[in-house]
Amino acid sequence: MDSSFINMEFLIDTFFVALSGVPIALLVTVVALLIAMPIGFFLALSRITEVPIVNGFTKVYVSFVRGTPIIIQIFVLYSILPLILAGIFERYNIDFPIYDVNPLWYAFIIFSFNTAAVLVEVFRSALKTVHAGQLEAAYSVGLTTAQAYRRIVIPQMLVSAMPNLCTATINLIKATSLGYAISLQEITLKAKVAANVGYNYLEAYIDIFIVYLILCITVEYLFKVFEKRLSRYKAVATA
Amino acid sequence: MEKYFDINYLWTALPQLLPYLWITLFVAALAVIFGSLLGLIIAVFKLSKNKFLSFLANSYITIMRCTPSIVLLFLVYYGIPAFSERFFGIYLQDVHTGVFVVITFSLQFAAMMAEVIRSAYLSIDKGQYEAAVSVGLTPFQSYARIIFPQAVVVALPNFGNGLISVLQEGALAYTIGFIDIVGKANLIIANNYNTHALEIYIALAVFYWVLSVAIAKIFGKLEKVFSKGQRTLKTS
Repeated sequence: MDSSFINMEFLIDTFFVALSGVPIALLVTVVALLIAMPIGFFLALSRITEVPIVNGFTKVYVSFVRGTPIIIQIFVLYSILPLILAGIFERYNIDFPIYDVNPLWYAFIIFSFNTAAVLVEVFRSALKTVHAGQLEAAYSVGLTTAQAYRRIVIPQMLVSAMPNLCTATINLIKATSLGYAISLQEITLKAKVAANVGYNYLEAYIDIFIVYLILCITVEYLFKVFEKRLSRYKAVATA
Repeated sequence: MEKYFDINYLWTALPQLLPYLWITLFVAALAVIFGSLLGLIIAVFKLSKNKFLSFLANSYITIMRCTPSIVLLFLVYYGIPAFSERFFGIYLQDVHTGVFVVITFSLQFAAMMAEVIRSAYLSIDKGQYEAAVSVGLTPFQSYARIIFPQAVVVALPNFGNGLISVLQEGALAYTIGFIDIVGKANLIIANNYNTHALEIYIALAVFYWVLSVAIAKIFGKLEKVFSKGQRTLKTS
Protein backbone atom coordinates (compact mmCIF):
# COMPACT_ATOMS: atom_id res chain seq x y z
CA MET A 1 0.00 0.00 0.00
CA ASP A 2 1.44 3.33 -0.98
CA SER A 3 -1.42 5.42 0.31
CA SER A 4 -0.59 8.05 2.86
CA PHE A 5 -0.24 7.30 6.55
CA ILE A 6 -3.50 8.91 7.59
CA ASN A 7 -6.52 9.57 5.46
CA MET A 8 -7.31 13.12 6.58
CA GLU A 9 -10.70 13.35 4.94
CA PHE A 10 -11.87 10.14 6.53
CA LEU A 11 -10.41 11.23 9.86
CA ILE A 12 -12.51 14.40 9.88
CA ASP A 13 -15.71 12.77 8.58
CA THR A 14 -15.53 9.93 11.05
CA PHE A 15 -14.89 12.29 13.93
CA PHE A 16 -18.48 13.47 13.57
CA VAL A 17 -19.69 9.89 13.28
CA ALA A 18 -17.96 9.10 16.56
CA LEU A 19 -19.35 12.29 18.06
CA SER A 20 -22.88 11.19 17.12
CA GLY A 21 -22.42 8.24 19.48
CA VAL A 22 -21.85 10.53 22.46
CA PRO A 23 -25.55 10.99 23.37
CA ILE A 24 -26.04 7.22 23.68
CA ALA A 25 -22.87 6.82 25.74
CA LEU A 26 -23.92 9.67 28.03
CA LEU A 27 -27.50 8.41 28.27
CA VAL A 28 -26.29 4.99 29.39
CA THR A 29 -23.88 6.61 31.84
CA VAL A 30 -26.51 8.90 33.38
CA VAL A 31 -29.25 6.26 33.61
CA ALA A 32 -26.83 3.72 35.09
CA LEU A 33 -25.66 6.27 37.66
CA LEU A 34 -29.24 7.26 38.57
CA ILE A 35 -30.23 3.62 39.09
CA ALA A 36 -26.98 2.64 40.80
CA MET A 37 -26.73 5.54 43.25
CA PRO A 38 -29.73 4.72 45.48
CA ILE A 39 -28.99 0.99 45.30
CA GLY A 40 -25.34 1.58 46.09
CA PHE A 41 -26.20 3.91 48.94
CA PHE A 42 -28.65 1.55 50.65
CA LEU A 43 -26.37 -1.44 50.23
CA ALA A 44 -23.52 0.62 51.68
CA LEU A 45 -25.73 1.51 54.65
CA SER A 46 -26.58 -2.16 55.09
CA ARG A 47 -22.87 -2.98 55.12
CA ILE A 48 -22.18 -0.38 57.78
CA THR A 49 -25.19 -1.19 59.98
CA GLU A 50 -24.58 -4.91 59.30
CA VAL A 51 -28.10 -5.87 58.32
CA PRO A 52 -27.91 -9.71 58.58
CA ILE A 53 -28.64 -11.23 55.15
CA VAL A 54 -28.25 -8.13 52.99
CA ASN A 55 -24.75 -7.55 54.34
CA GLY A 56 -23.57 -10.99 53.26
CA PHE A 57 -25.24 -10.69 49.88
CA THR A 58 -23.67 -7.29 49.30
CA LYS A 59 -20.23 -8.62 50.18
CA VAL A 60 -20.48 -11.38 47.57
CA TYR A 61 -22.02 -9.05 44.98
CA VAL A 62 -19.30 -6.41 45.37
CA SER A 63 -16.58 -9.05 45.39
CA PHE A 64 -17.94 -10.54 42.14
CA VAL A 65 -18.18 -7.23 40.31
CA ARG A 66 -14.76 -6.09 41.47
CA GLY A 67 -13.27 -9.51 40.81
CA THR A 68 -14.35 -10.00 37.20
CA PRO A 69 -13.65 -7.93 34.08
CA ILE A 70 -16.58 -5.83 32.87
CA ILE A 71 -16.51 -7.55 29.49
CA ILE A 72 -17.09 -10.90 31.20
CA GLN A 73 -19.96 -9.40 33.21
CA ILE A 74 -21.46 -8.18 29.95
CA PHE A 75 -21.05 -11.63 28.38
CA VAL A 76 -22.66 -13.37 31.34
CA LEU A 77 -25.53 -10.94 31.87
CA TYR A 78 -26.24 -10.63 28.17
CA SER A 79 -26.63 -14.40 27.90
CA ILE A 80 -28.42 -14.93 31.19
CA LEU A 81 -30.94 -12.07 31.10
CA PRO A 82 -32.86 -13.28 28.02
CA LEU A 83 -33.02 -16.78 29.55
CA ILE A 84 -34.48 -15.47 32.80
CA LEU A 85 -36.88 -13.12 31.07
CA ALA A 86 -38.00 -15.84 28.66
CA GLY A 87 -38.73 -18.08 31.62
CA ILE A 88 -40.76 -15.40 33.37
CA PHE A 89 -42.71 -14.43 30.30
CA GLU A 90 -43.42 -18.04 29.44
CA ARG A 91 -44.76 -18.74 32.88
CA TYR A 92 -47.16 -15.80 32.83
CA ASN A 93 -48.02 -16.23 29.17
CA ILE A 94 -46.85 -12.78 28.25
CA ASP A 95 -46.20 -12.48 24.55
CA PHE A 96 -43.08 -10.39 24.41
CA PRO A 97 -40.32 -10.57 21.82
CA ILE A 98 -37.28 -10.71 24.12
CA TYR A 99 -34.80 -11.13 21.33
CA ASP A 100 -35.87 -7.92 19.61
CA VAL A 101 -35.32 -5.72 22.64
CA ASN A 102 -33.27 -2.61 22.01
CA PRO A 103 -29.75 -3.27 23.37
CA LEU A 104 -30.08 0.03 25.20
CA TRP A 105 -32.21 -1.69 27.85
CA TYR A 106 -29.59 -4.36 28.34
CA ALA A 107 -26.96 -1.65 28.60
CA PHE A 108 -28.95 0.07 31.35
CA ILE A 109 -29.24 -3.14 33.34
CA ILE A 110 -25.66 -4.31 32.83
CA PHE A 111 -23.98 -1.02 33.60
CA SER A 112 -26.25 -0.36 36.58
CA PHE A 113 -25.38 -3.79 37.91
CA ASN A 114 -21.70 -2.96 37.60
CA THR A 115 -21.81 0.61 38.86
CA ALA A 116 -24.01 -0.13 41.88
CA ALA A 117 -21.32 -2.44 43.25
CA VAL A 118 -18.61 0.15 42.65
CA LEU A 119 -20.73 2.78 44.40
CA VAL A 120 -21.30 0.54 47.44
CA GLU A 121 -17.59 0.82 48.18
CA VAL A 122 -17.49 4.53 47.33
CA PHE A 123 -20.40 5.34 49.65
CA ARG A 124 -19.21 3.00 52.35
CA SER A 125 -15.86 4.72 52.66
CA ALA A 126 -17.57 8.12 52.39
CA LEU A 127 -20.08 7.27 55.12
CA LYS A 128 -17.23 6.28 57.38
CA THR A 129 -15.76 9.77 57.12
CA VAL A 130 -18.90 11.26 58.68
CA HIS A 131 -18.47 11.32 62.43
CA ALA A 132 -20.97 9.20 64.38
CA GLY A 133 -21.64 12.21 66.62
CA GLN A 134 -23.28 13.95 63.67
CA LEU A 135 -26.09 11.43 63.59
CA GLU A 136 -26.46 11.46 67.37
CA ALA A 137 -26.58 15.26 67.39
CA ALA A 138 -29.24 15.17 64.67
CA TYR A 139 -31.33 12.76 66.76
CA SER A 140 -30.88 14.84 69.88
CA VAL A 141 -32.37 17.90 68.21
CA GLY A 142 -35.39 15.79 67.27
CA LEU A 143 -34.78 14.85 63.62
CA THR A 144 -36.12 11.52 62.41
CA THR A 145 -33.65 9.03 60.89
CA ALA A 146 -34.70 9.95 57.35
CA GLN A 147 -34.34 13.65 58.08
CA ALA A 148 -31.01 13.15 59.78
CA TYR A 149 -29.60 11.32 56.77
CA ARG A 150 -31.07 13.69 54.23
CA ARG A 151 -30.03 16.91 55.91
CA ILE A 152 -26.97 16.02 57.97
CA VAL A 153 -25.23 12.85 56.89
CA ILE A 154 -25.68 12.74 53.11
CA PRO A 155 -24.55 16.32 52.37
CA GLN A 156 -21.33 15.72 54.30
CA MET A 157 -20.84 12.27 52.84
CA LEU A 158 -21.22 13.52 49.28
CA VAL A 159 -18.27 15.88 49.63
CA SER A 160 -15.86 13.11 50.51
CA ALA A 161 -17.48 10.78 47.97
CA MET A 162 -17.01 13.24 45.10
CA PRO A 163 -13.49 12.31 43.93
CA ASN A 164 -14.33 8.60 43.91
CA LEU A 165 -17.67 9.30 42.29
CA CYS A 166 -15.80 11.15 39.55
CA THR A 167 -13.50 8.18 38.99
CA ALA A 168 -16.51 5.85 38.91
CA THR A 169 -18.23 8.06 36.33
CA ILE A 170 -15.14 8.22 34.13
CA ASN A 171 -14.75 4.45 34.35
CA LEU A 172 -18.42 4.06 33.44
CA ILE A 173 -18.05 6.26 30.37
CA LYS A 174 -15.00 4.25 29.37
CA ALA A 175 -16.86 1.01 29.98
CA THR A 176 -19.63 2.01 27.57
CA SER A 177 -17.01 1.48 24.84
CA LEU A 178 -17.63 -2.23 25.46
CA GLY A 179 -21.20 -1.74 24.28
CA TYR A 180 -20.10 -3.27 20.98
CA ALA A 181 -20.54 -6.67 22.65
CA ILE A 182 -24.29 -6.05 22.88
CA SER A 183 -24.35 -4.04 19.61
CA LEU A 184 -25.08 -0.79 21.38
CA GLN A 185 -24.76 2.09 18.92
CA GLU A 186 -22.26 4.15 20.88
CA ILE A 187 -19.04 5.97 20.04
CA THR A 188 -16.74 3.01 19.41
CA LEU A 189 -19.14 0.86 17.44
CA LYS A 190 -20.31 3.71 15.21
CA ALA A 191 -16.80 4.75 14.26
CA LYS A 192 -15.72 1.14 13.79
CA VAL A 193 -18.61 0.44 11.44
CA ALA A 194 -17.68 3.53 9.43
CA ALA A 195 -14.12 2.20 9.21
CA ASN A 196 -15.21 -1.22 7.99
CA VAL A 197 -15.84 0.11 4.49
CA GLY A 198 -12.28 1.13 3.64
CA TYR A 199 -10.27 -0.50 6.42
CA ASN A 200 -9.51 2.92 7.90
CA TYR A 201 -9.29 1.51 11.39
CA LEU A 202 -6.39 3.63 12.56
CA GLU A 203 -8.21 6.86 11.69
CA ALA A 204 -11.40 5.60 13.30
CA TYR A 205 -9.64 4.77 16.54
CA ILE A 206 -7.85 8.12 16.59
CA ASP A 207 -11.29 9.75 16.35
CA ILE A 208 -12.70 7.57 19.10
CA PHE A 209 -9.68 8.36 21.23
CA ILE A 210 -10.16 12.11 20.80
CA VAL A 211 -13.88 11.92 21.57
CA TYR A 212 -13.29 10.02 24.82
CA LEU A 213 -10.53 12.41 25.78
CA ILE A 214 -12.83 15.42 25.34
CA LEU A 215 -15.67 13.68 27.20
CA CYS A 216 -13.48 12.65 30.08
CA ILE A 217 -11.76 15.99 30.55
CA THR A 218 -15.15 17.75 30.48
CA VAL A 219 -16.62 15.40 33.08
CA GLU A 220 -13.58 15.79 35.33
CA TYR A 221 -13.88 19.57 35.08
CA LEU A 222 -17.61 19.49 35.92
CA PHE A 223 -16.97 17.30 38.94
CA LYS A 224 -14.30 19.70 40.18
CA VAL A 225 -16.73 22.62 39.93
CA PHE A 226 -19.47 20.63 41.64
CA GLU A 227 -17.14 19.49 44.41
CA LYS A 228 -16.21 23.09 45.13
CA ARG A 229 -19.89 24.01 45.37
CA LEU A 230 -20.64 21.11 47.70
CA SER A 231 -17.78 21.89 50.05
CA ARG A 232 -18.83 25.52 50.48
CA TYR A 233 -19.77 24.91 54.08
CA LYS A 234 -16.21 23.90 54.83
CA ALA A 235 -14.86 27.21 53.61
CA VAL A 236 -17.33 29.03 55.90
CA ALA A 237 -16.29 26.91 58.85
CA THR A 238 -12.60 27.65 58.47
CA ALA A 239 -13.06 31.36 57.80
CA MET B 1 -37.46 -29.28 25.01
CA GLU B 2 -33.84 -28.35 24.57
CA LYS B 3 -31.95 -27.67 27.69
CA TYR B 4 -30.78 -24.06 27.75
CA PHE B 5 -28.39 -24.34 30.61
CA ASP B 6 -26.22 -27.41 31.03
CA ILE B 7 -23.81 -27.34 33.93
CA ASN B 8 -21.76 -30.16 32.36
CA TYR B 9 -20.39 -27.73 29.81
CA LEU B 10 -18.95 -25.73 32.66
CA TRP B 11 -17.01 -28.71 33.99
CA THR B 12 -15.69 -29.67 30.59
CA ALA B 13 -14.71 -26.07 29.85
CA LEU B 14 -12.60 -25.57 32.96
CA PRO B 15 -9.79 -28.03 32.02
CA GLN B 16 -9.79 -26.72 28.46
CA LEU B 17 -9.38 -23.15 29.63
CA LEU B 18 -6.82 -23.79 32.34
CA PRO B 19 -3.71 -23.99 30.06
CA TYR B 20 -4.62 -20.60 28.60
CA LEU B 21 -4.77 -19.05 32.03
CA TRP B 22 -0.96 -19.04 32.01
CA ILE B 23 -0.92 -16.96 28.85
CA THR B 24 -3.22 -14.43 30.51
CA LEU B 25 -1.02 -14.36 33.60
CA PHE B 26 2.20 -14.19 31.58
CA VAL B 27 0.99 -11.19 29.60
CA ALA B 28 -0.17 -9.48 32.79
CA ALA B 29 3.20 -10.18 34.44
CA LEU B 30 5.14 -8.69 31.50
CA ALA B 31 2.86 -5.65 31.50
CA VAL B 32 3.45 -5.22 35.23
CA ILE B 33 7.25 -5.38 34.83
CA PHE B 34 7.49 -2.98 31.88
CA GLY B 35 4.70 -0.81 33.21
CA SER B 36 6.36 -0.42 36.60
CA LEU B 37 9.65 0.64 35.00
CA LEU B 38 7.93 3.16 32.74
CA GLY B 39 5.75 4.27 35.64
CA LEU B 40 8.85 4.98 37.71
CA ILE B 41 10.23 7.20 34.95
CA ILE B 42 6.92 9.04 34.62
CA ALA B 43 6.71 9.51 38.39
CA VAL B 44 10.22 10.99 38.39
CA PHE B 45 9.15 13.33 35.55
CA LYS B 46 6.05 14.35 37.44
CA LEU B 47 7.97 15.07 40.62
CA SER B 48 10.72 16.96 38.82
CA LYS B 49 10.92 20.72 39.12
CA ASN B 50 11.22 21.03 35.36
CA LYS B 51 7.82 22.36 34.26
CA PHE B 52 8.01 20.77 30.84
CA LEU B 53 8.75 17.31 32.22
CA SER B 54 5.96 17.45 34.80
CA PHE B 55 3.56 18.72 32.12
CA LEU B 56 4.57 15.78 29.94
CA ALA B 57 3.96 13.33 32.78
CA ASN B 58 0.62 14.91 33.68
CA SER B 59 -0.59 14.80 30.09
CA TYR B 60 0.42 11.18 29.78
CA ILE B 61 -1.45 10.22 32.94
CA THR B 62 -4.58 12.15 31.95
CA ILE B 63 -4.62 10.65 28.46
CA MET B 64 -4.22 7.13 29.78
CA ARG B 65 -6.91 7.65 32.39
CA CYS B 66 -9.33 8.88 29.74
CA THR B 67 -8.77 6.21 27.12
CA PRO B 68 -10.79 3.00 27.29
CA SER B 69 -8.51 -0.04 27.16
CA ILE B 70 -10.12 -1.32 24.02
CA VAL B 71 -9.45 1.95 22.19
CA LEU B 72 -5.83 2.00 23.37
CA LEU B 73 -5.45 -1.62 22.34
CA PHE B 74 -6.59 -0.94 18.79
CA LEU B 75 -4.60 2.30 18.56
CA VAL B 76 -1.46 0.35 19.42
CA TYR B 77 -2.40 -2.58 17.22
CA TYR B 78 -3.09 -0.51 14.12
CA GLY B 79 -1.00 2.52 14.95
CA ILE B 80 2.44 1.10 15.68
CA PRO B 81 2.75 -1.00 12.48
CA ALA B 82 1.39 1.85 10.32
CA PHE B 83 3.71 4.33 12.00
CA SER B 84 6.83 2.19 11.69
CA GLU B 85 6.03 1.34 8.09
CA ARG B 86 5.50 4.95 7.10
CA PHE B 87 8.39 6.56 8.90
CA PHE B 88 10.99 3.83 9.25
CA GLY B 89 10.02 1.45 6.47
CA ILE B 90 9.92 -1.42 8.94
CA TYR B 91 7.18 -3.95 8.39
CA LEU B 92 5.65 -5.23 11.58
CA GLN B 93 2.85 -7.32 10.09
CA ASP B 94 4.36 -10.58 11.32
CA VAL B 95 4.84 -9.48 14.90
CA HIS B 96 2.88 -11.62 17.32
CA THR B 97 -0.30 -9.98 18.60
CA GLY B 98 0.88 -10.73 22.12
CA VAL B 99 3.53 -8.04 21.70
CA PHE B 100 0.88 -5.40 21.06
CA VAL B 101 -1.13 -6.64 24.02
CA VAL B 102 1.91 -6.32 26.30
CA ILE B 103 2.72 -2.84 24.94
CA THR B 104 -0.86 -1.63 25.47
CA PHE B 105 -1.20 -2.82 29.03
CA SER B 106 2.32 -1.72 29.93
CA LEU B 107 1.43 1.80 28.79
CA GLN B 108 -1.76 1.70 30.81
CA PHE B 109 -0.20 0.17 33.90
CA ALA B 110 2.60 2.76 33.76
CA ALA B 111 0.09 5.58 34.20
CA MET B 112 -1.45 3.85 37.21
CA MET B 113 1.96 3.11 38.71
CA ALA B 114 3.19 6.66 38.17
CA GLU B 115 0.46 7.91 40.51
CA VAL B 116 1.05 5.10 43.00
CA ILE B 117 4.80 5.68 43.10
CA ARG B 118 4.40 9.43 43.35
CA SER B 119 1.97 9.28 46.26
CA ALA B 120 4.10 6.67 48.02
CA TYR B 121 7.19 8.83 47.62
CA LEU B 122 5.41 11.93 48.88
CA SER B 123 4.10 10.05 51.91
CA ILE B 124 7.65 9.53 53.19
CA ASP B 125 8.76 12.32 55.46
CA LYS B 126 11.51 14.50 54.04
CA GLY B 127 13.37 14.19 57.31
CA GLN B 128 14.07 10.56 56.48
CA TYR B 129 16.20 11.58 53.52
CA GLU B 130 17.89 14.36 55.44
CA ALA B 131 18.65 12.02 58.31
CA ALA B 132 20.09 9.45 55.92
CA VAL B 133 22.32 11.99 54.23
CA SER B 134 23.39 13.43 57.57
CA VAL B 135 24.73 10.06 58.75
CA GLY B 136 26.89 9.95 55.65
CA LEU B 137 24.92 7.97 53.09
CA THR B 138 25.16 9.12 49.51
CA PRO B 139 21.89 10.39 47.97
CA PHE B 140 21.60 7.15 45.99
CA GLN B 141 22.16 5.05 49.09
CA SER B 142 19.58 6.99 51.08
CA TYR B 143 17.01 6.47 48.34
CA ALA B 144 17.82 2.80 47.97
CA ARG B 145 18.07 1.95 51.65
CA ILE B 146 15.86 4.42 53.47
CA ILE B 147 13.21 5.92 51.19
CA PHE B 148 12.53 2.99 48.85
CA PRO B 149 11.79 0.30 51.48
CA GLN B 150 9.35 2.61 53.26
CA ALA B 151 7.68 3.78 50.06
CA VAL B 152 7.16 0.18 48.94
CA VAL B 153 5.06 -0.53 52.02
CA VAL B 154 2.88 2.52 51.36
CA ALA B 155 2.51 1.61 47.69
CA LEU B 156 1.61 -2.02 48.34
CA PRO B 157 -2.22 -1.82 48.51
CA ASN B 158 -2.46 0.41 45.44
CA PHE B 159 -0.03 -1.82 43.60
CA GLY B 160 -2.30 -4.77 44.36
CA ASN B 161 -5.30 -2.91 43.00
CA GLY B 162 -3.34 -2.02 39.88
CA LEU B 163 -2.38 -5.65 39.44
CA ILE B 164 -6.01 -6.75 39.62
CA SER B 165 -7.09 -4.07 37.19
CA VAL B 166 -4.37 -4.87 34.62
CA LEU B 167 -5.36 -8.52 34.82
CA GLN B 168 -9.00 -7.63 34.20
CA GLU B 169 -8.36 -5.14 31.41
CA GLY B 170 -6.26 -7.87 29.82
CA ALA B 171 -9.51 -9.73 29.19
CA LEU B 172 -9.96 -7.45 26.17
CA ALA B 173 -6.89 -8.80 24.40
CA TYR B 174 -9.09 -11.27 22.55
CA THR B 175 -10.49 -8.38 20.48
CA ILE B 176 -7.27 -8.18 18.43
CA GLY B 177 -7.19 -11.93 18.00
CA PHE B 178 -4.92 -12.83 20.89
CA ILE B 179 -5.68 -16.29 22.21
CA ASP B 180 -5.61 -16.02 25.95
CA ILE B 181 -8.21 -17.45 28.29
CA VAL B 182 -11.00 -15.26 26.89
CA GLY B 183 -9.93 -15.90 23.30
CA LYS B 184 -9.94 -19.64 23.95
CA ALA B 185 -13.38 -19.37 25.55
CA ASN B 186 -14.72 -17.68 22.43
CA LEU B 187 -13.16 -20.41 20.28
CA ILE B 188 -14.87 -23.09 22.38
CA ILE B 189 -18.18 -21.28 21.98
CA ALA B 190 -17.69 -21.01 18.24
CA ASN B 191 -16.97 -24.76 18.13
CA ASN B 192 -20.28 -25.37 19.92
CA TYR B 193 -22.08 -23.41 17.19
CA ASN B 194 -22.63 -20.53 19.62
CA THR B 195 -24.69 -22.61 22.00
CA HIS B 196 -23.96 -22.92 25.69
CA ALA B 197 -22.04 -19.68 25.71
CA LEU B 198 -23.34 -18.88 29.17
CA GLU B 199 -21.67 -21.88 30.80
CA ILE B 200 -18.31 -20.98 29.27
CA TYR B 201 -18.64 -17.36 30.30
CA ILE B 202 -19.47 -18.41 33.84
CA ALA B 203 -16.33 -20.55 33.84
CA LEU B 204 -14.35 -17.48 32.75
CA ALA B 205 -15.94 -15.35 35.45
CA VAL B 206 -15.00 -17.97 38.04
CA PHE B 207 -11.36 -17.93 36.91
CA TYR B 208 -11.10 -14.18 37.15
CA TRP B 209 -13.01 -14.00 40.40
CA VAL B 210 -10.78 -16.55 42.12
CA LEU B 211 -7.63 -14.86 40.81
CA SER B 212 -8.71 -11.38 41.90
CA VAL B 213 -9.75 -12.51 45.36
CA ALA B 214 -6.47 -14.41 45.72
CA ILE B 215 -4.39 -11.37 44.72
CA ALA B 216 -6.37 -9.15 47.09
CA LYS B 217 -5.83 -11.66 49.92
CA ILE B 218 -2.10 -11.97 49.25
CA PHE B 219 -1.61 -8.22 49.23
CA GLY B 220 -3.70 -7.87 52.39
CA LYS B 221 -1.37 -10.38 54.09
CA LEU B 222 1.78 -8.71 52.75
CA GLU B 223 0.57 -5.36 53.99
CA LYS B 224 -0.05 -6.77 57.43
CA VAL B 225 3.41 -8.37 57.55
CA PHE B 226 5.15 -5.14 56.57
CA SER B 227 3.12 -2.80 58.73
CA LYS B 228 3.77 -5.05 61.71
CA GLY B 229 7.47 -4.33 61.30
CA GLN B 230 6.72 -0.66 61.21
CA ARG B 231 4.90 -0.72 64.51
CA THR B 232 7.77 -2.46 66.33
CA LEU B 233 10.14 0.10 64.88
CA LYS B 234 8.04 2.89 66.28
CA THR B 235 7.74 1.44 69.77
CA SER B 236 11.36 0.40 70.11
